[in-house]
Amino acid sequence: MSQGPVLELRGIDKSFGPVQVLHDVAFSVYPGEVTALVGDNGAGKSTLVKCIGGIHPIDAGEYFFEGEKVQVNGPRDAAALGVEIVYQDLALCDNLDIVQNMFLGRERTSGLVLDEAMMEEMAAKTLAGLSVRTVKSLRQQVSSLSGGQRQTVAIAKAVLWNSKVVILDEPTAALGVAQTAQVLELVRRLADNGLAVVLISHNMNDVFAVSDRIAALYLGRMAAQVRTSDVTHSQVVELITSGRSGELGLRNGNGAAS
Amino acid sequence: MMRAGPSQEEIRKHNLGTLLRHVHLGGPTSRAELTTLMGLNRSTIMALTADLTAVGLVREELPRDTGRAGRPSLVVRPESARVYVLAFDVGVDRVAAARIGLGGVILDRREAVRQRGPFDMAEVVGMLAGFARQMHRKTRADTVCVGAAAAFCGAVRKSDGVVRIGPNIGLEEGPFGDELSRKLALGLPVAVGNDANLGALAEHTRGIGMGCRDLIYLHGDVGIGGGIVVNGQLLGGFAGYGGEVGHMVVNLGGRPCGCGSRGCLEAEVGERALMEHAGRYGEAIGRDGVRAVVDAADRGDVVAQEALQRVGDWLGLGVANLVNVFNPEMVVFGGMLRELYLGSAAQVRSRINTVTLAASRERLRLRTSVLGDDATLMGAAELAFAQVLADPLEVLARFAP
Repeated sequence: MSQGPVLELRGIDKSFGPVQVLHDVAFSVYPGEVTALVGDNGAGKSTLVKCIGGIHPIDAGEYFFEGEKVQVNGPRDAAALGVEIVYQDLALCDNLDIVQNMFLGRERTSGLVLDEAMMEEMAAKTLAGLSVRTVKSLRQQVSSLSGGQRQTVAIAKAVLWNSKVVILDEPTAALGVAQTAQVLELVRRLADNGLAVVLISHNMNDVFAVSDRIAALYLGRMAAQVRTSDVTHSQVVELITSGRSGELGLRNGNGAAS
Repeated sequence: MMRAGPSQEEIRKHNLGTLLRHVHLGGPTSRAELTTLMGLNRSTIMALTADLTAVGLVREELPRDTGRAGRPSLVVRPESARVYVLAFDVGVDRVAAARIGLGGVILDRREAVRQRGPFDMAEVVGMLAGFARQMHRKTRADTVCVGAAAAFCGAVRKSDGVVRIGPNIGLEEGPFGDELSRKLALGLPVAVGNDANLGALAEHTRGIGMGCRDLIYLHGDVGIGGGIVVNGQLLGGFAGYGGEVGHMVVNLGGRPCGCGSRGCLEAEVGERALMEHAGRYGEAIGRDGVRAVVDAADRGDVVAQEALQRVGDWLGLGVANLVNVFNPEMVVFGGMLRELYLGSAAQVRSRINTVTLAASRERLRLRTSVLGDDATLMGAAELAFAQVLADPLEVLARFAP
């Protein structure tokens, strides 16, 4: 708990043409913890995540990874650092099986041919390490999986590469109650295994169920980053909707810098 | 009587038990690791393993390629397929039986739905004994059953396993352990424990709370049960009724409880409270009922949302009181409380965050059970294994075929 952040952003600005989406955003993510990233639609959550993932270059600000200042110029740089993002659409191929999906674009080879046995073993190990028991066969096509199982495969794919930071964009949004429970428990297990996890969610129950910290964005500014054990539901809702709550949050309610 | 210290025989018994416990809880372990874990020299470990191997409790194998230089240390494995216990679970809506091997492996299990209504001892005992016979018939000749234990949703007297009161299942003063033992006719006593106590034991020894010395397990069935582990030991209380957190009063003069009091945690958080608040009482019971409410709330049903918020608020208050008193490292939500916690976590944690001392909650971890529906059965198995772990050779000599 007393460890420093594995990923830290300071003073991030990002504009798309004349529209400034992120203003002076600071954001820290800690190993072994789930950091919930919350905010209204258009608050800048997805943009921030895409900046972390190297999809959008940042206009200004500093990016620190494990205490070192780094330059992230593209998704490959982020992946090389150990940052993996699971997007809402999951980016899985329906016509491939679970192992093929997990290694898509990063296949292991043995000489000239694919090392299927090795890949299957690694995939099985990863899923077992996450205590995933819902998947019957690793050679099942992804099209035959349920929503929760797909989410599980997408998360396992992100974990496979010894990643250090895993960012999940609304992983429970399209799921039923039983599958939401399984995915939330998986999210928690990732952090308990030592990973730094960022959970984007609109569901306050999900946020409070598994997070250690909550970061609230308001109109492109970081309103507050707090410990989940220090706040109440209504305070977080206020931070999301007005950028401040009592002593917490932005000084000026309309989002202008204080 | 004054004693100079434990005899050599007692030390050996203790060491055999400790070694067996390491392998039982930690799975296959190399001799070298055991040497470090137990602080004994290699020849002692070798002798102890030889004794346990001779009676068929463990077996030694060459490890798979370690990828390191030097002669690999032999790996000691529990004889899971050979040495087992019978574990039973009696819940309000479900009775279950399992054959669980040394090392905590479920080898076989049976379960049946129990209809709600008055408790019929003969029927339940008959059903469980029937399951045990079915499973027993399928075992090989060289297997050995070294114990039996049951988890029961009621307050159980430690000394003789009598169920004193199970308000939700309708049993009072029932000698459940004796009845089941007689019906099993295996010459085995059946130890009985409170289901939530045993669930706590299971989550502590091989579930989410492994390595956690202070934890509280809350089990939701129709009512709310609890098991409290303090400094690695399950809190039993003077006669065995400790940890009945479901009857902690959170709402003075609140809803009536099956125990005769009012405003107990289980009266405010139990299945009936949730279903009544949601206006769905009598529609569905058990997990299906709770899931239906959480699902409806998720889809925007305002009544269901309010019901969850109310119940979550009381649950948070109950947990907050426990956190202030016991300062646990972890609180585990099991049984029906898993769904309930995940569906109302915002309320539960907001309440905890406003009511507990900041120092008591700053490192608190709230988790859901990983053993799920097997938690109580696994706990019963641990209770049944207790004797063989205390004195492996004697117990095995007694039950060997």
